[in-house]
Amino acid sequence: MADLWTGYLWPAIFIVLQIVAILVPLLIAVAYLTYAERKVIAGMQLRRGPNVVGPFGLLQPLADGIKLLFKETILPAGSNRIVFVLAPMVTFVLALVAWAVIPFGPNQVIADINVGVLYLFAISSLGVYGIIMAGWASNSKYPFLGACRSAAQMVSYEVSMGFVIVSVVLCAGTLNLTGIVEAQQNLWFAIPLLPMFVIFFISILAETNRTPFDLPEGESELVAGYFVEYSSMTFALFFLGEYANMILLSAITAVLFLGGWMPPLWIPPFTWVPGEIWLALKIAAVLFVFIWVRATLPRYRYDQLMRLGWKVFLPVSLGWVVLTAGVLVTFDLLPQ
Amino acid sequence: MTYDLATIAPELFLLVSAMALLMLGAFRQGNPTGLVLSLATVATVITFVLVWLQPTARELAFGGLFVRDGFGNFMKGLILVGSSVSLIMAWRFIERENMSRFEFPVLMLFATVGMMMMVSANDLISLYIGLELQSLSLYVIAAFRRDTLRSTESGLKYFVLGALSSGMLLYGSSLVYGFAGTTNFNTLAEILQQAAQAGEAPSIGLIVGVVFVMAGLAFKVGGVPFHMWTPDVYEGAPTPVTAFFASAPKIAAMALFARVLMGPFAELVAQWQQVVVAISLLSMVLGALAAISQTNIKRLMAYSSIGHVGYALIGLAAGTEAGVRGLAVYMAIYLFMNLGTFAVILCMRQKDRMVENIDDLRGLSRTHPLMALAMGIFMFSMAGIPPLAGFFSKLYVFLAAIEAQLYTLAVVGVLSSVVGAFYYLRIVKLMYFDEPAESFDQPFGREMSLIMGAAGAITLLFFVFPSPIVSGAEAAAASLLAAAG
Amino acid sequence: MVVQALCFYLFSAVAIASAVMVISSRNPVHSVLFLILAFFNAAGLFVLMGAEFLGMILVVVYLGAVTVLFLFVVMMLNINVAEMRQGFLQYLPIGATVGLILLVELFMVLGGWAISPEAAQVAQVPTPPPEQVSNTAALGNVLYTKYVYLFQASGIVLLVAMIGAIVLTLRTRTGVRRQNLREQSFRTRDESVEVKKVQSGSGV
Repeated sequence: MADLWTGYLWPAIFIVLQIVAILVPLLIAVAYLTYAERKVIAGMQLRRGPNVVGPFGLLQPLADGIKLLFKETILPAGSNRIVFVLAPMVTFVLALVAWAVIPFGPNQVIADINVGVLYLFAISSLGVYGIIMAGWASNSKYPFLGACRSAAQMVSYEVSMGFVIVSVVLCAGTLNLTGIVEAQQNLWFAIPLLPMFVIFFISILAETNRTPFDLPEGESELVAGYFVEYSSMTFALFFLGEYANMILLSAITAVLFLGGWMPPLWIPPFTWVPGEIWLALKIAAVLFVFIWVRATLPRYRYDQLMRLGWKVFLPVSLGWVVLTAGVLVTFDLLPQ
Repeated sequence: MTYDLATIAPELFLLVSAMALLMLGAFRQGNPTGLVLSLATVATVITFVLVWLQPTARELAFGGLFVRDGFGNFMKGLILVGSSVSLIMAWRFIERENMSRFEFPVLMLFATVGMMMMVSANDLISLYIGLELQSLSLYVIAAFRRDTLRSTESGLKYFVLGALSSGMLLYGSSLVYGFAGTTNFNTLAEILQQAAQAGEAPSIGLIVGVVFVMAGLAFKVGGVPFHMWTPDVYEGAPTPVTAFFASAPKIAAMALFARVLMGPFAELVAQWQQVVVAISLLSMVLGALAAISQTNIKRLMAYSSIGHVGYALIGLAAGTEAGVRGLAVYMAIYLFMNLGTFAVILCMRQKDRMVENIDDLRGLSRTHPLMALAMGIFMFSMAGIPPLAGFFSKLYVFLAAIEAQLYTLAVVGVLSSVVGAFYYLRIVKLMYFDEPAESFDQPFGREMSLIMGAAGAITLLFFVFPSPIVSGAEAAAASLLAAAG
Repeated sequence: MVVQALCFYLFSAVAIASAVMVISSRNPVHSVLFLILAFFNAAGLFVLMGAEFLGMILVVVYLGAVTVLFLFVVMMLNINVAEMRQGFLQYLPIGATVGLILLVELFMVLGGWAISPEAAQVAQVPTPPPEQVSNTAALGNVLYTKYVYLFQASGIVLLVAMIGAIVLTLRTRTGVRRQNLREQSFRTRDESVEVKKVQSGSGV
């Protein structure tokens, strides 16, 4: 009996507890990210933003959530029901499972796998399925157009993202995320790999379908793109998934380029702050830029988007990978 | 490693020039096709010289994945002749026929690299990759005139059946790997030899694997019963492409066939000989009979090539050094006859359009006497009339078959070449004894006359100076057999 | 071990079930979705075997790129499966025969699995033990040294495939006004703006 407990049940419970410990703060963060987005954009546009529900409008996300929960779920008549319902779930679940390998501190990670970076890359490349399934299953033209755009866009930008990740891995000498963070002990990769950092950031804007690459859901042309037909909880899942994805990609940016849980300098006032806080701060900073970009830039035209991905980012990132490898070999800086 | 690179120098050069030409074509303003095409021809010629300069001593590179030997060099030389002549024949054609795109010569070069890799393969994996490189390029150039129905049809048919044959080849290779535990040719030969010395019968699984590999290869050479794609693809593809298909890839696949059977599976000769004999018999008979009723000259050439594959396989079926020599001589002579014939076919134009009916050749002796003479030489030679080259090529393989006591093969071969002579001679009759049809458009272009003249001279005068081809083939066969033994 | 065994049976059962669904489902889009599921479970099996690199690459390449495009094509085409099934029964006997032969051969391979000791000797040494080198590093070590020839050759095959796809599909349309970024960036005020004095009350 004791065997069963120590051997199977306790580890299982422990894993569930770990998952809950990550997911609950994450979902709260998603809720408040929507709030933050509205507040920040309002500030930039000299408005007030949400300020009615609760003090400073702090309960607004909850109110929104409750509203969505109690609305009626509508399944369009000609839709493919199973796929239609499955699509938002896929998006949402994929945004959550990737957190398994994000390190919050030394040894603070659910699954410290050898190929963490590849796992993240794999999961983010699966994200496109939720959108395609939604667009197809809706059996309606706007969603399908949105899905087509989104799939082409995500596949295109994944290529250059892959090259960026390769150059980071070259510098770190490991595919393990903890190892990558530890390789940035002295110097964050954002500094030596600055162009790659910029490309990566722009690519994750495209990967999350955010402004200025929000063509898949461009409301002025496609109504709302792939989730036109969605309502109530199915819509909420899409919404949550999308924002969770933003937080995830910000976390990946922080881990790959901004030193993860490490303080910027190893001197007292910085070292007093725990690593988790540093990671959260870095994620918040990246998210702020996400919102800032949205408040600032107009939408790209579709051919411009493709041109940027294939004709600018792909050659530049490929060239930079070669350059990085060349420099590392020439100056004997290859990590062991 | 640098030593390895020297071993693959010709392939490397051709590959790098193909990529350089790709860049040139993509970034040069205006229409770069003419320039790329001529440079591609130059590249094949330089590669030919590089192959010529390669030592004939057998040498392995890249951990036994690649082999360079006299046999390979001989076959690569033939392949390069085939591709460079096809490239030259394409010069005018692609401009006239509205397919002037620079990717065409580049894909031809990639296909040639693939063939050279096939010929030099010393491992099932490198065999497969070379084969895929060649086939993939060929599928695309078959469908190169994508706005004509027949060209796209031929590309699609070739692709679907080619993919099927690659599948069979891979399945066979995986069986061989499963039973022998290796894909390397030398190791395979060693294992089979040891098993034979220990008196063990080869396992059935391995034999099944070899048969599947052979089926895949028979597909690529276009031997019966894996020939179905040949007539449609030959007819639909643009004519210089057909000329290319009928020459270089055939030689490469045949060389690969010989290398695989005489190298790693030399010990299994009793098993594979039956299969080769069957393919050879069927190809000869079908090639002779089916060609009779054809009216389209490209289809006729397709059936004729099936027949020639059958004759060449006689040499392989013998499984001896003389047989391989016969095969090499056969392929060399077939190459020249074939290129010459296609040069004539390419000149068949009336009112600015290609014509492809055999009847259009009527009375050619009166309108274009020299062209008719050249065509006559090629047809007589293909029929195997002495003293033209085609007679000697058949003679070598039949002698090898008789030496190996494959009398049925030799007899059927002679009989089917008599039947085959009917349709070759019918063309001669059309040209010389029928009333002239409309004359062909002039001028053909100097390079066409040159190709026809050179091929005609080689075919006609082979019996005077047989030594370059025969001694080359002899050395090639010796080097292939030396490696196996 | 029990957990691993459970995972194995879960992954393989789902993989086989979805593979069956790929060929039996009536809607081609569903077929592709099941194909995705099958690939995903195959990746899971790879991870279980300790080949995590292959598993991840399978997901990235097959699911992230190849199947997306596949799904795209299937969604765009209106494939009528019922129509395609028409010849099904007619060709069933020959198809089943071929399948049966392949199955028998497969059994022969597995049943007669006996590599001779000489073969085992001369067969190349497989990957080093997993405790010493992670399989990513092990793959990298042989891929760029021992198998560099094949690696580069496969790269060329892919290049040819790309050229072929472009050659067969790219059409340069005439009459399309393309954006020329250079021209736009170097445009000066003089070329594009004309200032006109307009007399008040008289129009342009």
